[in-house]
Amino acid sequence: MGKLITAEFRKTLTTKSWWGLMIPAVIFAFGFALGWGAFANEVGDVLDSDQTQRIADALGISTGNLPMGLLAIGHGINIGLTFPVIFGVFALAGEYSKKTITTTFLTAPNRVSVLSAKMVTYTIWGAVYGLVVAGAASLGIACTVDSERLPTSGQWLAVVGAAVLAGILATLFGIGVGAVWNSVVGSVITLTIYLLVVENVLVLLFYGLWRIDWLGGILPNGTMNGIVGAIGAQAFGAAGVKVPGLDDEAKWTLQYVAGAPGAFSWWASALIFLAWTAVFFVGGWASNQRRDIT
Amino acid sequence: MQNDGSGRILVQNLSKTFGPVAAVQNLSFAVEPGSVTGFLGPNGAGKTTTLRMLLGLVTPTAGTATISGLPYHHLGSPARIVGAVLENEGFHPKRTARNHLRVYASAIGVPDQRADEVLGLVGLSGAANRKPGEFSLGMRQRLALATALLGNPQVLVLDEPANGLDPEGILWLRNFLRAYAREGRTVLVSSHLLSEVEQTIDQVVIISHGMTRYYGSLDQLRASQQTRVLIQAADPNALVKALQEGGYTQVEPTPDGRVAVLGATRQQIGDLVAKSGLAVYGMEEDRADLERLFFQLTNGAYTGAPQYVQQQPPSPPGGWGPPPPGYGPPQQQYQVPPGYQQPGPQQGWGGQR
Repeated sequence: MGKLITAEFRKTLTTKSWWGLMIPAVIFAFGFALGWGAFANEVGDVLDSDQTQRIADALGISTGNLPMGLLAIGHGINIGLTFPVIFGVFALAGEYSKKTITTTFLTAPNRVSVLSAKMVTYTIWGAVYGLVVAGAASLGIACTVDSERLPTSGQWLAVVGAAVLAGILATLFGIGVGAVWNSVVGSVITLTIYLLVVENVLVLLFYGLWRIDWLGGILPNGTMNGIVGAIGAQAFGAAGVKVPGLDDEAKWTLQYVAGAPGAFSWWASALIFLAWTAVFFVGGWASNQRRDIT
Repeated sequence: MQNDGSGRILVQNLSKTFGPVAAVQNLSFAVEPGSVTGFLGPNGAGKTTTLRMLLGLVTPTAGTATISGLPYHHLGSPARIVGAVLENEGFHPKRTARNHLRVYASAIGVPDQRADEVLGLVGLSGAANRKPGEFSLGMRQRLALATALLGNPQVLVLDEPANGLDPEGILWLRNFLRAYAREGRTVLVSSHLLSEVEQTIDQVVIISHGMTRYYGSLDQLRASQQTRVLIQAADPNALVKALQEGGYTQVEPTPDGRVAVLGATRQQIGDLVAKSGLAVYGMEEDRADLERLFFQLTNGAYTGAPQYVQQQPPSPPGGWGPPPPGYGPPQQQYQVPPGYQQPGPQQGWGGQR
């Protein structure tokens, strides 16, 4: 097993995709954190002063010190996590498209060991992506958010931890989708459009038309984003905790600004996204065991 | 089940159906160590599917394929026992040859320097840091062979390895495979052209339409063929008459006006001609080449003729016997052009082994 993990690491390190995808991940995470940081810094204006006061009271801090940076860092991390998903797609679907899967299966004791080795290898890669993306987003908010509105070190560590977890799950999710569909191009294009556009439109539409606020809390992109985003939302009493008097609209707006509309809590998001990952990963695993390599 | 260490390949009643298509039907043969076995059949005969079933890449619908007594994925560390060169062998176009080999060296568990060793073995040392995306087809075949050799396997399985190789490369491959088999290892090599591997192989499995047509030694197949004598006579009709009187009944004209006599030697005909006093301008002995026999064995699949299956022990049909129903022999193809003196009974582009 150790031999196959070494082989998997060599596969990823001897081609460009690991850094080819990490560069945009860093740029997007930094850029979005920067932009949303500037916006979140001013988001107090979006909430009426009465509600801001209620939140601040509930949290026991003064209104000027709300950790607005937390909302923005989540957004930066979320956009950055799109790239480990794509990286994951290459793990197996990429081997099929380049037909290296033949040699990979021929040089391994069996297919289960290949997939297990990939799972371990890409778990580590997912963690690396999570860390790097969290770092880039941290830098982004540090540039635009007032220092008293930056997250506390405890909050920041929680966000980084959540980003690592989300990075791992995002990568495995990508492997699963790629393994089920068995097409790099199809999976990458569909996932990118779905994660960045389709689901956001769905969530906004359902909320805007029918006030359905939980949709983002159960769909793949929403739950993936919710792992980190809900920490920010929670800091504002908008997820996982109850702040008396905070109306639903303001709560959803805060969640949305944090990049986690509809998220129940960070751990609920993690569990639901884990379920999505498992569905695709197990599906991909099963179809791979049987697939004829012709 | 245990690996018996023999390196013997055993295919028993193997079948594979892809949807409505029966790619392989009830195929059985064995490949013994110490020999090079040709696995022959026209394109689409089921060769690749059979090899992929042997290598655990395709799941058989029925039957078994084992190496040293075990299915591929029960061999433990299969790449140390079996090396495979398959068609469309995949390389990441941007991963250098050396890195490609190092990836799989670590998967197999052999030291990294083995990558450079096998590059040297196949003559690609100079291209170690180049990417397969820039390689010629022949270089990619060599890299595929290098990958197969990483685990120093006892068994080599090659699917159409000569594709893309230049004549020099084919000669090199031939010598390499023969030397490999001489060490007591097993070599199975597929091809759709008998002439391509004729000089390389000892044993042959001929399949067509997913079924075994012949299985046995190449020498036996060769020995089964009748010779014929081609005579250019001043008066062919008189010659035919003389031949028939002399007891040679299998006489037929050739398109270029010569007379072909089956089942006779040049000496016998020479004596007869001298006795009859007929003028003869030229005479030569012609042995049907294996390619024609191969064509006869495999062509039923494409004429819709009733299939005849050769089961072991092999008893191949006489090369010049009556053709199977539906078989229209392309006479021209086997005709020696006028004025061309055929030097010997065996004509192969690769020279004698």
